[in-house]
Amino acid sequence: MDRRQRTNVVTVVLVAFLVSVAIAETKKEFKYTVGRNANVSVDTQYGAISVRPGSNSEVIVHATVQSDKAEIDSQQRGNRIEVISHFAPGLDQQTARVDYEILVPADATVSLRSSTGPLSAEHLQGDLSLEGTDAVVDIRNVSNGHVHVTTMRGPVTLTDVSNGHVEISSISGDVTLKSVTGPLVQANSGSGKISYDGDFGSGGDYKFTTHTGDIVAVVPANVSADFSAHSMLGKVQNDFPLEPRHTRLSFDEGRAFFGTVGKAASAVVLRSFSGRIRLKQQAALK
Amino acid sequence: MTCADVQRVLPEIIDAGGDLEFEAHLKSCPACSELVNELEWIAAESRELAGSEDPPDRVWVRVSNQLRAEGIIRDQVDTSARPVVVPSPARRWNAWWLAPVVAGILAVGSYELAHRSAPASPQVAQHPSQQRQVIPSPQPPQNNLQAAKQGEASPATNQQTRLARHVLAKLTPNPAPTNQAEISPPASEEDAQFLSEVSQRAPTMRVTYEKQLRAVNEEIRETLEYIKLHPEDLDARQHLLETYQQKALLYQMALDRIQ
Repeated sequence: MDRRQRTNVVTVVLVAFLVSVAIAETKKEFKYTVGRNANVSVDTQYGAISVRPGSNSEVIVHATVQSDKAEIDSQQRGNRIEVISHFAPGLDQQTARVDYEILVPADATVSLRSSTGPLSAEHLQGDLSLEGTDAVVDIRNVSNGHVHVTTMRGPVTLTDVSNGHVEISSISGDVTLKSVTGPLVQANSGSGKISYDGDFGSGGDYKFTTHTGDIVAVVPANVSADFSAHSMLGKVQNDFPLEPRHTRLSFDEGRAFFGTVGKAASAVVLRSFSGRIRLKQQAALK
Repeated sequence: MTCADVQRVLPEIIDAGGDLEFEAHLKSCPACSELVNELEWIAAESRELAGSEDPPDRVWVRVSNQLRAEGIIRDQVDTSARPVVVPSPARRWNAWWLAPVVAGILAVGSYELAHRSAPASPQVAQHPSQQRQVIPSPQPPQNNLQAAKQGEASPATNQQTRLARHVLAKLTPNPAPTNQAEISPPASEEDAQFLSEVSQRAPTMRVTYEKQLRAVNEEIRETLEYIKLHPEDLDARQHLLETYQQKALLYQMALDRIQ
């Protein structure tokens, strides 16, 4: 009996707490009519921002505000939507938090900025610019647009991104690229690790650089690329029988490899100061 | 009208012009005439300065201290004795001075990439320790750093610096010799200014930025050491430039956030 009473008390307290939290949150919605190639910019110091495609002519902003001392400044100037969160001094990261869920036309140019994040964008075809200090960045199913991501420590994951320029810069965050192809794909991280899982497409330039982070590229056996890998103080490892390519420079053994696979349709440059570089072959499907 | 009278009313009439008595004194007093000419030049130059860029705080502090020492400005509110050159109260401090600093960092990186240094003494390159140590900013050759920064400093910033030094030289009986380092401080001082700005504008982020800055400076130092031993390694030079770009990126991210 005592245990049941205790359980009931805990349940009541928990429900009351959740209700109080829900009540403290304030939800706001903004709707704007836009034309083609709209420009949408969202800036929040603390909070998550997710962007998905919606109507072709409308931008809908759903905001969840944790404190009445946090304000949202949302305005439209022509075909440009700008949403900025402000908060009074003294608020902490939790009370100043404003989360956004945004629906935009698929061809919109989107710019997101948040210190904490997470930041996510999916199924879009316009240019994307995401910046977060510690924000986790997740971009999926984006094509035909340029993707530009900057973080300080936040990890970055791109999945199924194609046919655009991709530039990722992180001071110490890990970068994970899955099925990412395009005419230009660059990823740079100081101490973070860079992982690539894909086939490097055809006709693209790929460059991955780190200072101390490892670089791992897992590619299928039928990849077609010209590989150039060099780690100044780390080791390199290659699972592919590369067709040797002449290079006028000499490197210490085990620090570099150069060569082509297939028709060398894409150029892949892997550079690290002291991280390990590894080119692995995907396991064959059973 | 005496010279003391001229100096007392000068702040009010420097723009509007003086009366006949004032003009007559200037004609008869070379010292006051020269002073008025100099101040008119300063006032004209200051109007041309871009509003978005300010010199560092320390410059204005020194100016106001000197003006206070000369008795031109007083601590209590006195509308009849305005300082000659003061920042507008409505002008808001901003951190856009970081922009030329960012450009300077990139310029230094480019210079390091292009410059071929003589090989160092034959030592085996140590593998960098995984543990980050508290190490001050790397110190490229001073003259090269200054040359790069002077080349990249914006015209408005140079103009402000010349203007501030000119004011101080006129107000100080024995002005201190101008020091080249004041124009182009070493990287560690810039990092200190950067962290000071972050502390003021975003104190909760200070520790994070400081840690990242140390990490990036360590990367730059390691790369510079490697290049000394392997000057022929073009990849290393390119990596050095990219590492400087990382530092510039860190500055830029902070700049975007603390604005």
